[in-house]
Amino acid sequence: MQRASRLKRELQMLSTEPPPGVTCWQSEERIDELRAQIMGGTETPYEGGLFSLEVKIPERYPFEPPKIRFLTPIYHPNIDGSGRICHDALKLPPKGAWKPSLNISTVLTSIQLLMAEPNPDDPLMADISSEFKYNKQLFMEKARKWTQEHAVQKNIVVVNSNKENIPDQKAPSRKRDALEAKEQAKEPAKRTCM
Amino acid sequence: MEGSDSVDQSGSDQPESQRRRLLDRLDREEAFYQFVNNLSDEDYRLMRDNNLLGTPGEVTEDELFNRLQQIKDGPEQPTNNPSTESAENPVEPPENPEDPAGGDSLLDWLNTVRRTGNTTRTGHRGNQSWRAVSQTNPNSGDFRFSLEISVNRNLAEQQAAAEGEQEPPEQPPEAPEVVASAEPEPELEEVFSPEVVGNPPSSPAAPVVQPPLCPSPRRGQRRARSRSPEPRRTRTRLARSRSPLNLDQLDGLSYPRHNYSSQSPSSSTNATPVPPVEGSSRTRQHVLSRPSPAVDVDVQPPRVSAEPAPEAQNVGSQEGETAGAEGGAGGRRPPTIMLDLQVRRVRPGEYRQRDSIASRTRSRSQNSNNTFLYETERGGFRRTFSRSERAGVRTYVSTIRIPIRRISDAGLGEATSMALQSMIRQIMTGFGELGYLMDSDSDSSDSNRGANTSMDLETLNSPEATTADASSADVEEQPFAAGVRARTSESDMDLSPDTPATGGRARPRPPISLEEPSSLPFLRLAHFFLLNDDDEEQPQGLTKEQIDNLSMRSFGESDALKTCSVCITEYAEGNKLRKLPCSHEYHVHCIDRWLSENSTCPICRRAVLVSANRESVV
Repeated sequence: MQRASRLKRELQMLSTEPPPGVTCWQSEERIDELRAQIMGGTETPYEGGLFSLEVKIPERYPFEPPKIRFLTPIYHPNIDGSGRICHDALKLPPKGAWKPSLNISTVLTSIQLLMAEPNPDDPLMADISSEFKYNKQLFMEKARKWTQEHAVQKNIVVVNSNKENIPDQKAPSRKRDALEAKEQAKEPAKRTCM
Repeated sequence: MEGSDSVDQSGSDQPESQRRRLLDRLDREEAFYQFVNNLSDEDYRLMRDNNLLGTPGEVTEDELFNRLQQIKDGPEQPTNNPSTESAENPVEPPENPEDPAGGDSLLDWLNTVRRTGNTTRTGHRGNQSWRAVSQTNPNSGDFRFSLEISVNRNLAEQQAAAEGEQEPPEQPPEAPEVVASAEPEPELEEVFSPEVVGNPPSSPAAPVVQPPLCPSPRRGQRRARSRSPEPRRTRTRLARSRSPLNLDQLDGLSYPRHNYSSQSPSSSTNATPVPPVEGSSRTRQHVLSRPSPAVDVDVQPPRVSAEPAPEAQNVGSQEGETAGAEGGAGGRRPPTIMLDLQVRRVRPGEYRQRDSIASRTRSRSQNSNNTFLYETERGGFRRTFSRSERAGVRTYVSTIRIPIRRISDAGLGEATSMALQSMIRQIMTGFGELGYLMDSDSDSSDSNRGANTSMDLETLNSPEATTADASSADVEEQPFAAGVRARTSESDMDLSPDTPATGGRARPRPPISLEEPSSLPFLRLAHFFLLNDDDEEQPQGLTKEQIDNLSMRSFGESDALKTCSVCITEYAEGNKLRKLPCSHEYHVHCIDRWLSENSTCPICRRAVLVSANRESVV
């Protein structure tokens, strides 16, 4: 409904006061598609990784939740091979917990939280979930490995530019684009992992 | 400021045109808010209820204004409709949007129904016309759905014309209850808390009809007259749905009848009584009365004994009678298949015990010359099929009884529960089968009949067996046994007496073939019931009335919370706000839209309706 104006406000808020460890910006010219990055939390197997997400804003937003998925492969009980996320804030009630007073920023933050605290009781990936429950060590190992493989920028230059990017919202979008292009170039190969 | 800069920056990369469009849209959104703020309550409601507001930014303010004018100028039709309807049955959501479209979208309609609760809908498809009624009793949670399909060979065209028509919704809501009323007879059953009754009585019209004898248009009239005296449920309904056809004369008679008839009338009756009564009884009664449709006399007595109240069944019987009476003359009514499905909520602590009552009753009622009764029992399912023929009218009744247990206390009675769904499914299957039976029957001789039936039954059984297993499993889990009864379908076939060859019997007549049986709505129904597991979880919103009952006020500077959390916009002086019971406030247009699909507060998620029919979600 009030999609456009609300999005505009949200984007302003995201750029002026982004939640820690999360960035989100408009992708290309499209108003209904955003990109986001979440830094893997410390003390988690995702530490050191930078995870890209795709955020699609449905026509009926905010009456419908944004559609978010991971572009970067991640080893997580609630995230599947194609990046889909099993998270109640991303679904409408009564199954889900989306409500219009949530926004992109809060949802991304809750995804960040989900990364740190998987919910094995509502698994999307049954195998990973049971591994998480019954063989945590193995899980942590694998998750870390995946992070290294897919989410950590091996190219130092890129990492640097990334770091710039995170704190600095106003970095030229071109830089981001370049980054993305790189990431995307890697994607296909990564995806086959699953 | 900075923020906006960045946004603008990225914008600058875009093609000018796109950017312009975006800006335009933003302007229009602003204008939209302005416009909404300036609307009077009435106007706002008027536009909202007619879906004229659309999405902010979608249309210009001028366009909005035009729409408002238009709707106002239009002799209040739109306004009145909703208001009247709401007054009469608040529960029913008028299906405004889709009404006219209607014809074929039975499925769509069903989907709507589940959301809205009580609805009636009619439509045509090819030469079939259907009428479906569904209602949910908010008090008891009982659900009732009935579908009537009539096949009209000659009239197909006319029907098409008539299609758009919609039935008056009022009646349908009551229908469910009717059943109950019918069943008042205590003797029959104890009541099983959860019952599923499916009565698909179909009254196949006279076979003769098929033959091109009568010119379609005329025919309708003719029939009507001859029959007019007889109130047939089916007819009536049909009439309504396709006014052009039969309706003419029938109306007077049929309508009233109708009321009595299972669907519409029942509801009123039942409504109250039902909850107290377990309700299971009704179904049976239905069965009884109907079976004897062929002859008035026969039928009636049984009924009377069985049911004190004039039930839908009566109607059925009457129909039968009439038909019979008319004999050759009347013969041509279009074949009709009717499905009546009821789902009762199971109450803990109740037990179900006897299943077979239904069939017993039935047999009693049949005193006709020519009766055939077939019973099977398999895997816990009991299925009965009977056929009787009188004065050229054949009646088929099939009943399926499925014992179930409830899976859990909660949600037992809900149409949602898996066990129920599978049962419903079965009923549906049986329903379809019936059509098949009728078909084959017409061709085959009586002797064959038996064979066929058994065959059919066999077929049916297999699926049932499966279900049965499932259900039995359920049962075990549950200590309480809930009785679910699926009542089945009855079909009355009117063989037309016309057929020369047959004296009283319709033998010779050509088989009634429903066209493309596979395409009949009931098949899709089965589909519908099967597929809907998920849908049940769809959010349910509040009705307009419920929303309008929430308090509203204008924003004043002194208020503490100044931002609407739906649109993240600060309130401006004069904005209309709606306050939910939890004290959270929003722009009227923002929250109304949310509440039309959801029932909780966007901030605290508390249920907006305290108790109401539905438990608060979450």
